[in-house]
Amino acid sequence: MRQGLVVQGLSKSFKGAPHPALEEFSLSLAPGSCTAVLGPSGSGKSTLLRTVAGLEIPDRGSVLLDGQDLATVRPERRGMAMVFQRPLLFPHLNVLDNVAFAARIRGVPRRRARADAESFLELVQMQGTGRRAVTGLSGGQQQRVAIARGLAARPAVLLLDEPFSALDPELRSAMHELLSHVREQLNPMVLMVTHDRDEASAVADQLALISEGTLLQHSSVEAMYTRPVSLQVSRLMGGTNEVPGTIRGGVHYSALGAHALPADHPWAEGPATLLIRPERIIVLEDHNPGLPAVITRIRARGPRRLMTVEAAGVTLNAEETTCPHPAPGDTVRLQLPTSALAAVAPQPTAETSALISPTPKVPA
Amino acid sequence: MFLPETEVLITRSRPKPRVPGALLAVPAIVIVAFVVVGGSAMVTAQSLGLMPLVGRPELSTAAYTAHGGDLLVGGGLSLAIAGTSTLLACLIGFMAALIMMQGRWCGKLVAAMSSLSIPLPHIVGAAATGLLLADSGLLARVFGTAERWPPLVGGPWWAAVIFEYAWKESAFVGLVLAGTLATRSVDYEETAALLGAGRLGRLRHVLLPLSLPALMTSGTIAFIYSFGSYEVAWLLGRPYPEPLPVMALRLYNSVTLTSRPEAAAVAVVTAAVSLCAVLMALAFLRKIPLWR
Amino acid sequence: MAVTLPPGLPREALRKDAARNGLTRSRAAGRILRTATAAALAVWFVLPLVPLGLWVFADRWSYPAPLPQHWGLENVDSALSRGAATGFAGSLALGLAVSALATPLGVLAARSLAFHPSRWSALFSALLFAPLALPAFVTVFGLNVLLVRLQVPSSAGVVLVLTAYALPYTTYVMRLAFGAHDLGFEEEACTLGATRGQVFLRVQLPLIAPALARAAFLAFLVGWSDYLVTVLIGGGSLVTVPLLVASAAAGTGNDGIVAVLSLIALAPPLALLLFAGMTGRRRPGARP
Repeated sequence: MRQGLVVQGLSKSFKGAPHPALEEFSLSLAPGSCTAVLGPSGSGKSTLLRTVAGLEIPDRGSVLLDGQDLATVRPERRGMAMVFQRPLLFPHLNVLDNVAFAARIRGVPRRRARADAESFLELVQMQGTGRRAVTGLSGGQQQRVAIARGLAARPAVLLLDEPFSALDPELRSAMHELLSHVREQLNPMVLMVTHDRDEASAVADQLALISEGTLLQHSSVEAMYTRPVSLQVSRLMGGTNEVPGTIRGGVHYSALGAHALPADHPWAEGPATLLIRPERIIVLEDHNPGLPAVITRIRARGPRRLMTVEAAGVTLNAEETTCPHPAPGDTVRLQLPTSALAAVAPQPTAETSALISPTPKVPA
Repeated sequence: MFLPETEVLITRSRPKPRVPGALLAVPAIVIVAFVVVGGSAMVTAQSLGLMPLVGRPELSTAAYTAHGGDLLVGGGLSLAIAGTSTLLACLIGFMAALIMMQGRWCGKLVAAMSSLSIPLPHIVGAAATGLLLADSGLLARVFGTAERWPPLVGGPWWAAVIFEYAWKESAFVGLVLAGTLATRSVDYEETAALLGAGRLGRLRHVLLPLSLPALMTSGTIAFIYSFGSYEVAWLLGRPYPEPLPVMALRLYNSVTLTSRPEAAAVAVVTAAVSLCAVLMALAFLRKIPLWR
Repeated sequence: MAVTLPPGLPREALRKDAARNGLTRSRAAGRILRTATAAALAVWFVLPLVPLGLWVFADRWSYPAPLPQHWGLENVDSALSRGAATGFAGSLALGLAVSALATPLGVLAARSLAFHPSRWSALFSALLFAPLALPAFVTVFGLNVLLVRLQVPSSAGVVLVLTAYALPYTTYVMRLAFGAHDLGFEEEACTLGATRGQVFLRVQLPLIAPALARAAFLAFLVGWSDYLVTVLIGGGSLVTVPLLVASAAAGTGNDGIVAVLSLIALAPPLALLLFAGMTGRRRPGARP
């Protein structure tokens, strides 16, 4: 009976670290899902993965796989393969024997183990490299082999610890392709940690946002962007537009006027900050309907443009425009589509805003 | 234009130094070459009768055949002593390295205790072994078995000699292994564990192969050292049969005219066996993919 | 005679504390087994030193008694009267001379091997490591004739041969250090406006200092612990502690003196080791 992976109330602190690496962390993963744990460096995400794998012993809390508590199960019996940021291919074995490692350990005869390994090499598009020494492979190839080696162990959960962050961008998107290919073929349960939200959104169907060892939000990728549960989540996901105001009857009132919030969510009455992602604001030429605003600054971001506009004393960031040649000082019209709006409790206290600022790296 | 990475590294040139960089090694090379090449050439010449103390130089192998039987027995004895002590040193050293790697207080204790014996001269180690294992030594006193105490020092099994070499070299092997293993083995062990390898599996499939090059290298160094070392066997051994270095030194210091070439012949045989051991070790290391 | 020396000491290598790691978490049986093994190994490494420690303070310790009957420092006086002070000075001078020669030469050789690979490199390294494969008495038999004909003073001959036997260690240690050493640091310093001298003093030297200290220590040990080369080439003109230990240990009834001399042989390197261990720990930048 497959019930997936459940993490309950995990806590773990390291000696000499300013705050716990994990604090009452709970998360559950459905079978076949791919969940990305997203967080800045030192947020405890690697500790989470190592604890799930059994490499770290939690101070409190439990890890359950298909309903079974893993507290007394040693790492080698947990059925979890992990791929680290460094490929860590065994230097004394060739490519094929690296992939065949798990089978050989279980006592599978060499010939069968190698035949099996060959099929996994094929899966990661590394067929024909089996006889080569691992030192002769490039970084991306090594990481492919490492993934094949993990998959060949037939893990219940595949753990990925920032496996692509040492690769260059093209290679990284190729690896994202590879991962979705693997998911189509084998449908494993994947738990991955990363600090790159684009990567997390590209490969995962569920996101868990972690900061200072605490789970901030666990939801679908879409919801993480459009329905952040707090200002902190919004900011960690790259949201920059925050408009203070009040909600009355599902409508947000602020300096920008009244904006109806999406009807599919019960919005709490009272003070609230309106959020809208820069890429969802529609900037139109002056003769169109919409909020009048003035462009104060334009920054080029490669093919895109990031505009800072001011409307009714509120500063907003926007990316898209239909204006042919926008320039600072131009008057434009803004439209804020209802479906793109969300609201959260207003300005965090001093304590929580400190959480968002960069923190020193702790051993994770 | 796109250059491969290595080419970029080379073309990133530095200001040209006054002396070609490779020549920096020359002073060291001159000294080593003088000692190694000069020494072995001269000793070979002596052994072949080309440098007699008196008389005309004449090429002969007489020095090699003069004590042919003793040379064979001595060679066998030296091989047995060096082989046994190296085997023990590798076993104990590997075990010590495993304990050291755990890094808890017991690992630190073993590391500290083993580094204690490193700076000790072998002659001091031999003297200390004598005080420990002789029939009037500490162990015989503590266990109070005066008459039944086995002849460890000067006995037929060369036990004290083997003990001394194994003791000193196990610390050497252990520290070398701990040094090479500690830098990377934890990550590899974790990876192996997550692929399903238990303690024994990790030892057999990860730790042992990873430490094999260092084990072979340090073991070979220890073997050659104990094979060609004089003072320990001289102090703790018995008069007959003699290991090669003891035999060589006795002949070297003896007063007869023919003894110098004979001593040189023993030295050449010792060197030849040592060289064979090195070549065998290198041939073995070459087969390990880990070895660069 | 050469000694076998490990290139590095484990303290530096054991940075990662595995104590709370899930892999090393042990059941009771495993813990007992490991503690017992560790205890046995500790005893193995320290046992031969125990009789030395006892004999140093044993004024009278006749045969069957398991412990000395009279404690005192008479052995120290006897050792001094047999020339322990001269031997100590001789050993110290020999160790320092070998270290002073083999360390800089090893640095140069390692730099050549690390940064200036040429078609000679393979030959150079084969030669530099050859002393490890050649017992010292073999070369000394041959060199004795040569050194006498070239009229090299015997002490200089001893230093020369031991330097050759120390060079593999210093070269190896420095080669490792240069291997981990990034030329980028020096280039960065150059771009920041440092002259060649400043680059050497402020960048290269601090970066290689720990390895330099280790190489110098190993070379010192080669001179300090030598017996055979000093006897064969020195011919008695150079008296060192190992020579005194050998002559005392070869006789009978000198156990106390042997112990004192052995302690003299052990104390300085051990003090250096402890000193290095303590200062090394305090400097945060000191990496091997």
